[in-house]
Amino acid sequence: MLMSSHASKTAWWLPEIPKSALMRRRMLWAYVFVSAPIFALLVFLLGPILFSGWVSLHRWDMLSPVSDMPWRGLSNYSYLLTKDPVFLKSLGNTFLFAIGGVGANTVLGLGFALLLNSRIRGRTIWRVLYFMPVITAPLALAVMFSFIFNRNYGVVNNVITAFGLPRQPFLSGPSQALMTLVFIAIYQYVGYYIVIFLAGLQGIPQDYYDAAQVDGAGKWQEFRFITLPLLRPVMLFVVVTNTIGALQVFDLVFATTGGAPANSSMTVVLHMYNTAFKFSRMGRASAMAFILFAIIMLITIAQVRLLRDRTYQD
Amino acid sequence: MSDHSSRLQPMGAVVKYLVLFGGAFVMVFPFVWMIIASLMTAGEIQLRPPVWLPAEPQFGNYIELTESIPIGRLYFNSLFTSGLIVFGVLLSSSLAGFAFAKYRFPGREALFYLILATMMIPFFVTLIPVFFIVRQLGWIDTYQGLVVPGLTSAYGIFLMRQFIVSLPDELIDAARIDGASELRIFWRIVVPLVKPALATLGTFTFIGSWNAFLWPLLVINSRELMTLPLGINSMKSLYADNTNLLMAGTAVAVIPMLIVFIFLQRYFIKGIALTGLKG
Repeated sequence: MLMSSHASKTAWWLPEIPKSALMRRRMLWAYVFVSAPIFALLVFLLGPILFSGWVSLHRWDMLSPVSDMPWRGLSNYSYLLTKDPVFLKSLGNTFLFAIGGVGANTVLGLGFALLLNSRIRGRTIWRVLYFMPVITAPLALAVMFSFIFNRNYGVVNNVITAFGLPRQPFLSGPSQALMTLVFIAIYQYVGYYIVIFLAGLQGIPQDYYDAAQVDGAGKWQEFRFITLPLLRPVMLFVVVTNTIGALQVFDLVFATTGGAPANSSMTVVLHMYNTAFKFSRMGRASAMAFILFAIIMLITIAQVRLLRDRTYQD
Repeated sequence: MSDHSSRLQPMGAVVKYLVLFGGAFVMVFPFVWMIIASLMTAGEIQLRPPVWLPAEPQFGNYIELTESIPIGRLYFNSLFTSGLIVFGVLLSSSLAGFAFAKYRFPGREALFYLILATMMIPFFVTLIPVFFIVRQLGWIDTYQGLVVPGLTSAYGIFLMRQFIVSLPDELIDAARIDGASELRIFWRIVVPLVKPALATLGTFTFIGSWNAFLWPLLVINSRELMTLPLGINSMKSLYADNTNLLMAGTAVAVIPMLIVFIFLQRYFIKGIALTGLKG
């Protein structure tokens, strides 16, 4: 799609200077238009990722000069993967967090989108209500839910004890903190996925359902053989973006548990933040970033392969 | 999809509304509870058995809040920095998107692939180096430090290129024949035609920078430059024993944005559905 208008026979890396002065002037304008953004991307994205890779092979506290960083080879990586129990723990927590959040958001997002796509009154109002947490700062949600799930005077415990059940620690309990965070993450994003799924559902032509009815298909068959296959691209988008986002969770964990108790809710990016900005171990933190980056890429590729449209291959 | 079920099964409709209402209750309750708690006394919040409403609404909490938290300043900082970032992203994305879509120049494909590649880089991979660069520039605890790294968006360039490429070339050629300059073509022809895309990109960018926490946390130290999420974060420790004031502060920080959203929800949701399907 990219090179469709590119009529030249020369290879793309060979400069192709237009003949006329007019064309050359236009070309100069194009360079003017792209120069500042490209420069910014080089300085704030491409340069940094290369530098980050370089740092991950060194020991560095960010205070000593870059030229004096002691070389460590791959030892940052091997340390993380074999000797850093907190990193492995945070990796496991991050996976659980992502699996729980993505699974629930996909099921609930699609379920509520189906409800809202059926004959229903006040579709706009429902959508607005479900969407409110999406635009609210994660920090605010963290503060609200720390209070709601408070062990001693949180409203959830007030209700639980009113039914005669024992108080639950939620965010302060080693076996409950991560699950509570998953709940908050679902609360935070489900409205977004409802809107995405709803748009996808509204893009399916009604004719298909009419035809299925003529053929005597039931509700489940309609869902299974029309809705789900046609929603595949939307499903792919939801699963991939939600997974990428969930694996990078920071704000919510930082402002609720801070990874406590006993690292039971520590996530990779929070551990990386602590390693870099509390303990000044930039090399190790950069290695952590690259390990997570690689994991995210692998998972994304796997998801795209599993979920992409295979209509023409089967 | 299914108009037929509710006609035949009135019970199904009841269940549908019950489920929708249950979900909506879960969604709205935390906000309502925040406001109720913000009107309680510090003692009422911890009462056992618990109370569900304040004996008398403590509107004074909000006054007490403004005496120790510079709410106006937080709002100014958030609006100012988010505004600059939105302006920068819209301008740089549409200019570069225009060049990639409608100009031929050596290196165009290579540069565009570069942008596609950078789109996939997550923020946490570049966090340490960008922080280092900003520190070397002496921009720690300044607006520049907060804003400049966010002024360009690879995703924004990609999005605008996709929209501009579908504009007919004839429009641009006709303007050129009329003697319009390249900048004039951009401003008078391209920008008006891609306004919906700009609105979507602007909305996303605004919400992103308005709610951003990690980068401001690293760059900003002084109270005068704090944005709203940083303000909430500092209230967390300041009001550790005054949950009522903490809730009042959080309410002041989030409710105005929610009101704006409710008025503009049509555009928000349209834009989100649009990019979701494009992506």
